[in-house]
Amino acid sequence: MKVFNVFFAIGLAWLLLATSSCRRDGVSAQLSREIVFAIGQAPLNLDPRYATDAASERVNRLIYQSLVDFDSQSKPTPSLAGWRAISPTAFRFTLNKNRAPFHYPTKLRQAPLTANDVKATYDSIALLQDSPHAAEFDNVKNIIVTDDSTVVFQLKQPDSHFPAKLIIGILPAELIALHHDFSHAPVGSGPLKLLSWRNQLSLQRVSDGQTISLLEVKDPTVRVLKLLHGEVDLLQAELPPELVKYLQTKPEVTVKTNRGANFSYLGLNMQDPTLKNLKVRQAIAYAIDRDAIIQKVMVFNTRAASAILPPEHYTNQHSLPIYAYQPALAKQLLLEAGIKLPLKLVYKTSTDAQRVRFATIMQAQMQAAGIQLEIRSLDWGTFFADVKQGNFQLYGLTWVGIKTPEIYGKALGSQSVPPHGFNRGRYADAQLDQLLAEEDWPSATAHIHQQLPYIPLWYEGQFAAMRQEINNYSPKADGNWDDLATISRYAH
Amino acid sequence: MIKKLAFTILGFWLIAVLAGRLFQLNPNQIDLNAILSLPDNAYLLGADDLGRSILARLLRGVEVSFLVAIVVTIVTMLLGVVIGLIAGFYGGKVDQALMQVTDIFLAFPGILLAIAFAAVLGPGLANLMIALCITGWVSYARLTRGQTLSLRNRQHVQAAESLGASVPRLIIKHILPLLASILVVEATYSLASVMIAEASLSFLGLGIQAPSASWGAMLRDGVRYMLVAPHYVLVVGLSLMSLILAITLGGDYLRDKLDVRTEKNDGQKHSKYSVIKQKVKGKACH
Repeated sequence: MKVFNVFFAIGLAWLLLATSSCRRDGVSAQLSREIVFAIGQAPLNLDPRYATDAASERVNRLIYQSLVDFDSQSKPTPSLAGWRAISPTAFRFTLNKNRAPFHYPTKLRQAPLTANDVKATYDSIALLQDSPHAAEFDNVKNIIVTDDSTVVFQLKQPDSHFPAKLIIGILPAELIALHHDFSHAPVGSGPLKLLSWRNQLSLQRVSDGQTISLLEVKDPTVRVLKLLHGEVDLLQAELPPELVKYLQTKPEVTVKTNRGANFSYLGLNMQDPTLKNLKVRQAIAYAIDRDAIIQKVMVFNTRAASAILPPEHYTNQHSLPIYAYQPALAKQLLLEAGIKLPLKLVYKTSTDAQRVRFATIMQAQMQAAGIQLEIRSLDWGTFFADVKQGNFQLYGLTWVGIKTPEIYGKALGSQSVPPHGFNRGRYADAQLDQLLAEEDWPSATAHIHQQLPYIPLWYEGQFAAMRQEINNYSPKADGNWDDLATISRYAH
Repeated sequence: MIKKLAFTILGFWLIAVLAGRLFQLNPNQIDLNAILSLPDNAYLLGADDLGRSILARLLRGVEVSFLVAIVVTIVTMLLGVVIGLIAGFYGGKVDQALMQVTDIFLAFPGILLAIAFAAVLGPGLANLMIALCITGWVSYARLTRGQTLSLRNRQHVQAAESLGASVPRLIIKHILPLLASILVVEATYSLASVMIAEASLSFLGLGIQAPSASWGAMLRDGVRYMLVAPHYVLVVGLSLMSLILAITLGGDYLRDKLDVRTEKNDGQKHSKYSVIKQKVKGKACH
C-alpha cells in the first residue's frame, strides 16, 4: 500500500507538471501568434482629446474612428461621415450606414456609433480647459443632432476648411458622461481595440482577433537585434540609415520604403537683428548641401524640400526650386548684407544623435560660406521650451503629419506667436497675412520660399523593417501605423 | 612589471598626443564618403559616423581627458585640502559644520551629483569641469581632516606652536609636508576617476559639445553603430580602458612607494615614515 501511495504521488506530481507545461506550451503557442511591433517611444495618452505625441496619435487612429480623413494629396475625405456645406457657417455630416460598434468590454451595448456620440465628443473638447485641441474648435457655435446619423456643426465665423479639423476620434457619449479615463482605457470603434497596457500595449484586431503588441525599445541597436532574433516582428523609422542598410542585407528581414511628407527645416528667430536681413537668410539657405546630406546620412526616399507642404499636396501647383549648395554665393550675400565674417550663429537642437549628426554636417558645410555655427544640443524639454519662448537664433525641427495649408497661418501668421499658434520665429509679414487671408496658397507658398522665415531642408523618407513572414504592411508618407489594421503573418 | 606597463601606456599616450599635434591631425574634418569606413591607409583607425578620422579624434579626446582630469584634480585637491585642514586644525564647531557639509556631499553617489550639476549648468567643457569640481573635493577634505586631527597633536606641531609659530606656518611647514605623500596617491586615483566621470558625462551628452572630440561622446556614437562598425566602439573602449588601467597601476605603484607603512627588505632600509619621524624629531629639538 505504501509503495502504491509513493507511486501514486509521483504519478500525480508528473501529471501536474505535464499539465502545467502543456499550459505553458499553450500560452507560448498563443503568444507566438501575436505580432510584436517595436517602437522607440510608447504612446503617452490614448484619449484623442488630449493626445499630441506621434505614437499616441498613430495608435488612436487605429482605436477610434474620425469623421474625416485625408487622401494621398492631403485633401480631406469622408471617413466615418460625408459632409455638405449648408451655409458658409454650417456643415451637415451624415454618418455612414455600416458603422462599427464601440469596443465595450461586455456585450451590453452593440449599437453603432451615433450622431450623439459625435456631439458629445466635440462638446467635451470645447469644455476641456486643458485639451491642446480645444482652441481648434473655438469657432464652433453649436452642434445639433438631427437624427441618429446626422449632425450639424454651426460656426461663429465662416471657415471653408472646417471639415479638415474633424479628425479627432469619436468617443462613446455615455462614457464621456461618466468621465471615463480614455487615456489609459480607450474605448473606440476603430479596427483595433485595447487588450491590455502594462509593459507593452496589446491591441486586438476586431475583425479576426489578431493580437498586435507595441513594445517600447528605446535603443535603436537593441530594436534591430530584437528584430533579427525574432523577438519582435516589425519596426518602423527611428533608425540610423546605416542600420537600415544593414537590415537590408539580412535574409530574414524585409525592408520596405516610401517617400516621406514630414517637413524638416531650420527655424530662424526673425527678431534677431542679423537674421532679420533677407540676404543673411538666403546665405544660410545656400550654405547647406542638402543633396550630400540626403545621399550620405539619410534613409531612402528622402527628398530635398522647398516648401512646408510636399509637392504632391493639392495646394502645390507649382514646383519651387530647391536652394542649391553655393557657398561662394552665400558668402557674397553675407558681404552684401554688411556682415563681418565669420558670421557667428547659435544652432539649437535636441540631443537626438541623428539630429546632432545633421547639425555637425551643416556646421562644416556652413564654414565654407563664412558662417561659424555653434551647436547647442539640449534635452528635449529645455530645447522645446527655448523654441517656444523664442530663445534661439536657429533651431532644427520637423513638422509631422501636416495635412492642411492652414499650417502656414499657424506657423507663420503674425497673430500666431505662441501661445496663440506656432509662429516661434516671431515672423511678421503683412503681405503673407494678406495672402493667407485670401487663401491663395500657391502665392503664399512662393512668398514663404522667397522670404525664408524657415530654411527648408527635406522630407525624410519612411521605412519599415519586418520579419519575412510578416505581410500586408508598408510604411506611409506621414509615418502612420494604419497598416496594423491589415497586417498578417504567413502560416508556416 | 606593473610599473613598466603603467608607464609604457602612459608614455605611449603622451607621445601620441604630441604626435597628433605635430602632424596637425584635424579631428573635425568631415568626409561624407568615408562614413564608418574600416581602417585603411587614409584612416589608420577607420572613420566615424561623419567620416572623421577616429585616430585624430581619439588623440584630441585624450587631450580633453587629460585637461579635465588635471584641472579638476588640482582644483578639488586645493579645495578639499583647505577645508580638511581648517576642519582638522581648528576642530570643534568649525570641524562639525564643515564635516556635515562634507557628509551631505558624500551621501549622494558622486557621479549622480555631477550629472545633476552638469544638467543644471548646461553642457560644455567649462561647466563639466565645474560640475566635477563641485563634487570631487569631498574625498580630499575627509582624508586631510583625518590626518590633520592626528598630526595636530604631534609633539613637533605642539612644540612649534609653543615657540609661537603662526597658524599658517604650522600648517604649511609642519602639517602639510606630512600630508603630501597621501595626497599625491589620492590625486593619482582621482585622475582616473575624473577621466571616467568626464567620459560618463560626455556619454550622456552633458559634457563636451559637438564637434569637439571626447571619448565619452565617441563611445556613445560608437555604440549606435556597433552592428555595422564594431571597430569604432572597440578602439575607443580599449583606449579608455588602457589609460585608466595605466593611471590606476601608476597610483598603486606610487602608493607602494610613498606609503609610510611599507617596509622593504625587513628593516634593512628605514621606512619613509621613520625617516620623516627622525627629521621631525630633529627639527623639534633644534
